[in-house]
Amino acid sequence: MDIQEKLGILSGAARYDASCASSGCGREAPLRGTGNTSQAGICHSWSDDGRCISLLKILLSNDCRYDCAYCVNRSSNPMPRASFTAREVVDLTMEFYRRNYIEGLFLSSAVMKGPDQTMEEMVRVAEMLRVEEKFGGYIHLKVIPGSSPELVRRAGLAADRISVNIELPSSESLHRLAPQKRKESILEPMKLIGSEIGTSLVERRSSRNAPRFAPAGQSTQMIIGASPETDLQILRLSQGLYRRMNLKRVYYSAFVPVNEDNRLPVIASPPLLREHRLYQADWLLRFYGFSAEEILSDDAPDLDESFDPKTAWALRHPEFYPVEINRADYNTLLRVPGIGVTSAKRIIAARRFSVITPEGMKKIGVVMKRAKYFITCSGRPFDKPDREPARLRQRLLLGEPAPEPRQLVLFQ
Amino acid sequence: MNRYLYDGTPEGLVSAIAAILEAEPDPQRVTLTGRQDTLFEEGLFVRTDPTAVDALFSRLRKQAPDAVYTLWYFMMAETEGLESSLLHYIALALEHGDRINGHLTHSDVKAVVSAARKAGREAHRMKGLLRFEQLRDGTWLARMEPDHNVIQPLAKHFSRRLRGQQWFIYDVRRRSAAHWDGRALQFGTLEQFSRPELSDEEKEVQVMWRAFFRSIAIPERKNPHLQKSNMPAKYWKYLTEKQGE
Repeated sequence: MDIQEKLGILSGAARYDASCASSGCGREAPLRGTGNTSQAGICHSWSDDGRCISLLKILLSNDCRYDCAYCVNRSSNPMPRASFTAREVVDLTMEFYRRNYIEGLFLSSAVMKGPDQTMEEMVRVAEMLRVEEKFGGYIHLKVIPGSSPELVRRAGLAADRISVNIELPSSESLHRLAPQKRKESILEPMKLIGSEIGTSLVERRSSRNAPRFAPAGQSTQMIIGASPETDLQILRLSQGLYRRMNLKRVYYSAFVPVNEDNRLPVIASPPLLREHRLYQADWLLRFYGFSAEEILSDDAPDLDESFDPKTAWALRHPEFYPVEINRADYNTLLRVPGIGVTSAKRIIAARRFSVITPEGMKKIGVVMKRAKYFITCSGRPFDKPDREPARLRQRLLLGEPAPEPRQLVLFQ
Repeated sequence: MNRYLYDGTPEGLVSAIAAILEAEPDPQRVTLTGRQDTLFEEGLFVRTDPTAVDALFSRLRKQAPDAVYTLWYFMMAETEGLESSLLHYIALALEHGDRINGHLTHSDVKAVVSAARKAGREAHRMKGLLRFEQLRDGTWLARMEPDHNVIQPLAKHFSRRLRGQQWFIYDVRRRSAAHWDGRALQFGTLEQFSRPELSDEEKEVQVMWRAFFRSIAIPERKNPHLQKSNMPAKYWKYLTEKQGE
């Protein structure tokens, strides 16, 4: 099989991995080497599904001995199988990198002979890139559940980011849909990675030459909509991963029905809106100071499809508003629908020079479409201060009602 | 209100601003425009003085280092008609320091900062969208037509990233070029340009990149609208993956 055919099979098999980040770590190119990384991350292209391409995202092999219900590569699927050699992946990465197609490599794999044999091959690719090619670009390695701690350590020393996929939001679902994967084989490497990252950070404080372990941190991914968990269960899980495991990112991947299997739900199309709402809620957890229990409750355990989760929170908490733009602190500003991290920071910077008027808000670049219902500027509300809950919901959904045509009154 | 004129070059603009800050007690009441060479233009013409330019830069660097970046990116934006705004912005930066960039309710600050931000955004975007092609002689060439004049920060970026390669970046619209020979960067203009022959290996790698680009998209999630809004069609002309579609 020629390399182009392999590339077609093994990138097609990798496309369901959601992670694309190349950020979180700045490094200069090694001496006489190629490639550096950028703290902010760089997107290089956008594919036909609108998702960004920043890494050469491929599988080392799609020849899997596991038979997970949801996975396109499961062993019972009749499909062409292919495996790269380590050298082939290294060469492709370098050729693409020299042309500025990519920030680096994202390497995952099906489980070939076993977890350790597969992981060993993957680590070898990363080590060849770093040592033989003196490659300084970004490397993201997926950890195969059940790999030995020694291989996980080597992976963390060669890669910028490593990730273990949690796959499904509960261990019952994992057991049902991925019977060959055990919860412990996923959580143990996660814990190990978390503690190695911590140790490396501490050591680097006393010595700049101490080795860096996964400097761009750890992430994970789960499939949404293939199993019955509620959004609240999912957000609680993510919250725990951020707080206790110190993860950088949790990715959510809308379930795409690629297999027929009576353990899977029958759906017409992937739940993209639900995935979108979960990402919005995830942002609230990481950057806006919300907790999972504020966003959802046992009475209403799923995210509202009509409203983004912050607007939904605002509608449930009329007592919190209006927020006074000229006095509210940063965290309070962040609770206003339509005001994000950038806008909140800009408002605070601009307040140091003068009082902010409604026109000022527009100049600063705050989108007022939703915010206007929830704020005052120097005590004065925007437009019409109609905050009656039912009408407010209506307006947020449909926009301002058109002014009613009125007969001109000429004589009174 | 006093009116000043300058020769229309970027250096002339900074030089004129330096002179006005020196001469005028209240620069906020001064206007500055490019000279049009008509007979009855009103205003005092300021000649370009390189030492005044250097002096203003070193003063700014000390008092408002962020404003130097803003000024740098503002120049890349190649805007027209914002000379007075820039003058007022720099006067305010010298008075308030770096926090001036947050004074977005001030129209001049807003105009200058937004123009700079636009250029900065495109410079960042081009770091991802630029494509190098290998030529017959082993050197590399990247062509582009950005809206803003971003060749300087781009070339700097690639001199760190692809420092083992010898490459050219060519701005087709402005006929300007950057060259990296493995050690140093050079900038210049090219009056005549024809695209040299690609190496045989180059054509093979391009075929593979296009194959990857096609198969990485999830068919069930096809979304051309989102693709276009993230990657406007004006950049597709030089994108390897968008050729021969």
